[in-house]
Amino acid sequence: MPEEIFSLTDLSFRFPEDDEKTLTSISFSVEQGERLVISGPSGCGKSTLLYLLNRLYPDNCDGLVDGEIRLFGKSADEYAPGEINHRIATVFQDPDSQFCMPTVEEELAFTLENLHAPLAEMEPRITTVLEVTGLSHLRHSVIQSLSGGMKQRVATACALIMDPEVLLLDEPLSHLDPYTAKQFVEWLEELQQQSNLTIVAVEHRLDSWGTFFGREIQMGCNGAIDADHPFIPRLPVSFPERQSSCQSEVALQTEKLSVTIKDRQLLAPVSFSVSRGEVVVIAGPNGSGKSTLAKSLCGIYKRTTGKVESDGIGYVPQSPEYLFLTQSVQQEVAFSGASTPFELTQLMDSLRLEEIQKAHPFAISHGQKRRVAIAAMLADKRPVLLMDEPTSGQDTAALLELFALIDQRAKEGATFLIITHDMEFAASLADSVLLIKDGEMTGKFAAKDVWQNDKLLEQHHLLAPKGVSRLAESFA
Amino acid sequence: MLKSWKLKEVVLMSLFAVVFGIVYLLFLHVANIWAALIGPLAYEWMFGIWFIVSIICMYIIRRPGAAVLSETMAAAIEVLIGNAVGPRLILSGVIQGLGAEAAFALTGYKHFNILVLMLAGIGSAVFSFVYGYFVSGYAALDPSFVALMFTIRVLSGAVIAGIGGKYIGDALLATGSLRGYAIARTKKGDVNA
Amino acid sequence: MRNLLHDMNPSVKFVLVTVSMLALAFFFNPWTPLLFWLGILLLQLTMSRTKWKLWLLFMLPFSIGAFGYLWTTVVFGADTGGTVIWSFAGIDVTDEQWARALSLALRVMAFSTLSLLFAFTTDPVKFIMSLMQQLKLSPKMAYGIMVGYQFLPVMKDEFTQIQQAQRLRGAEMKKYSWQRLLEMRRILIPMLAGAVRKAERSAFAMEARGFTGEPRSAYYRPVRIGRTDIWMSGVFLVILLASCIGGSWLS
Repeated sequence: MPEEIFSLTDLSFRFPEDDEKTLTSISFSVEQGERLVISGPSGCGKSTLLYLLNRLYPDNCDGLVDGEIRLFGKSADEYAPGEINHRIATVFQDPDSQFCMPTVEEELAFTLENLHAPLAEMEPRITTVLEVTGLSHLRHSVIQSLSGGMKQRVATACALIMDPEVLLLDEPLSHLDPYTAKQFVEWLEELQQQSNLTIVAVEHRLDSWGTFFGREIQMGCNGAIDADHPFIPRLPVSFPERQSSCQSEVALQTEKLSVTIKDRQLLAPVSFSVSRGEVVVIAGPNGSGKSTLAKSLCGIYKRTTGKVESDGIGYVPQSPEYLFLTQSVQQEVAFSGASTPFELTQLMDSLRLEEIQKAHPFAISHGQKRRVAIAAMLADKRPVLLMDEPTSGQDTAALLELFALIDQRAKEGATFLIITHDMEFAASLADSVLLIKDGEMTGKFAAKDVWQNDKLLEQHHLLAPKGVSRLAESFA
Repeated sequence: MLKSWKLKEVVLMSLFAVVFGIVYLLFLHVANIWAALIGPLAYEWMFGIWFIVSIICMYIIRRPGAAVLSETMAAAIEVLIGNAVGPRLILSGVIQGLGAEAAFALTGYKHFNILVLMLAGIGSAVFSFVYGYFVSGYAALDPSFVALMFTIRVLSGAVIAGIGGKYIGDALLATGSLRGYAIARTKKGDVNA
Repeated sequence: MRNLLHDMNPSVKFVLVTVSMLALAFFFNPWTPLLFWLGILLLQLTMSRTKWKLWLLFMLPFSIGAFGYLWTTVVFGADTGGTVIWSFAGIDVTDEQWARALSLALRVMAFSTLSLLFAFTTDPVKFIMSLMQQLKLSPKMAYGIMVGYQFLPVMKDEFTQIQQAQRLRGAEMKKYSWQRLLEMRRILIPMLAGAVRKAERSAFAMEARGFTGEPRSAYYRPVRIGRTDIWMSGVFLVILLASCIGGSWLS
């Protein structure tokens, strides 16, 4: 009979600041070698559950636990701080905030020092884990200079060097683009087959994982378990079909626009035009100049050459709160003073901001923040909207909401340029696709011409949207 | 002293120190230019930016030691990020932090209202001035000039660090990001806050 | 020879720099700081691999500061007596005042050179590790500081991005320093809110890898105190003593 790793009985959990419980009556157990995924919408408490398993909670938040958590057959409270962490290792979601030392080797050594490993063991253990994970060439690399995908691999190596029995994954793909995410999952699959680790992951986008998991626990918004069953591979979010809302007038026209900063050409001259109501997706590998193009269009970067003619270009960064200047949603939208009170009311109404107009713009959900940012840009008379990676880290509900939002605004005459790696999202929305590589524009293509051109997609590190055949039919 | 501290509180102090380190360096460039014209007076007004870390951290974390530890970490980070004033910053960091810490200790770490925060800013100013008096040899200066420097520094401590610290702490609390820290818990029913 | 200052234990260097600085604070004659300054320069010239162009660039603001110090001490100096050596715009400057002003300005130069010597020959990471290993800095603090150090480039970048985004909204850069200080609050709030988030994530990542803040039993890269440190401490102290005694004797 396989050994029982975790066993939770009627567990509930409450943060001291809250009146309501985050988790209620959770019971399940995990056996050795299982590959379990805990899924559910953002904010359903699945990360909290994970932190109870590696003992970060309740101590770190002074939370109140009811019911029982048994780890390796022993009650969780009986473990001293840090005692359990070499048996249960964790990889977190944010690749940028998991490290405290400059280089890969030093970070691995930090982990070994935490475990009080003898000095003589350290060097061979570091060498071994780097070989197993295929990261030997990065041994002396500076972690902050690595890409997000590589950082996640280093974080995994740091977890594996402890020789854990269980690996916990806290949405490890949510900051990676689909192309990198796919590579990461393949890499992890290989590792798991060698080591037969027990894996418990928390994830809201299951489509990137293929057939990796064996079992799934679904959690609902109320913090309870909805279902516990064998894992079924998922298709990506399916978006509704959309009618193009392109109008004949031109909303944005650039001619030989280029950017050179400190003698480095970040963007070779580009010329293109965008119609009113058009949705353009800007795509290309990381560091290819997508953000440079966006920032030079809206005037954050000085253009070195060329000109841009437009109705007024707004910008919604990946973190919309970067834009916020005031203490309430209402003030935020009204900040520029370019719109009349009547226009503002209409705008607030159509973006569903009325009920939160008194709220602090930082204290609302990510989706709401983005709506506030869009409202602020439109109120400032910037009907051409540039959005930087709006899909990153979003769950299904948020993606559908984003889709509807863009579709609706485009129908009403707004023009969108969206930087994204998410080709399913792009395929559902885009009228055209602007591909960039190495600081040069490959071209602006009609969307339907891109999805089946495998060579073009591969060159720009993009995955063909799944379900593309369905789309191709509907286009025909 | 550090045993009961959560690691996230220690790291928070460190990252706040980085943020204010960046701000401080921005203004330091301006002050450096002024220094040629008005001498050491150029730096006096901006001492408050330097003290603010300890006040904000104490306001948020509310544990004995938060002021002196955060100021010491801020100084160490300033050295790491290449502030050319170098290692002697660490000693002055400890001393400034002690000044703010003294004010909080006087009130038994129970009150964190605007007056206490201003007092903490003044505490930092006084401690750092006494230290500066010795190390930079203010004794050689005319007493009235020294008094002027002292007044500006105390004002900077009270206004930039005290009032500014309270303002930023409250603004940050309003964003809802301070969940899980002492400030978010005591705020509701605390008449002293 | 050229590696000596770089090879020193950072904590030993730190203590020497601090002791020298505190000792110099007792001297108000111009010779002591001058001698010490020259001594330190000589030390750095012969025992380090310093990029002197960069050094000059760093030294510039200090030199300006020293000049500011010089003239303020002349004009606003304490009444010390002595003979008037020159008058300027109605201000009489006595020899004593001039000596003190010169002393303070040279002290600024000596301190700055000493600081730069430390900065140019010390690896930041090794410094923190050494503070933990030799001066018993708590590991919680030491690794907390390391996290902050790793985040510096990220936060600098974030600072620029927020500034850019807010300028797009029409938040203009103001002309005067105090206005900019007030404007700074708008950038600070998102920066600090982000810092709170990052702090928690980093702390969790460290704890999830078994970090408890307890002292460590073995270091992968121990920072040691060696023979170089004893020799170099001797050299430092000789320079310090020579300038203290020599300075007092010369004046």
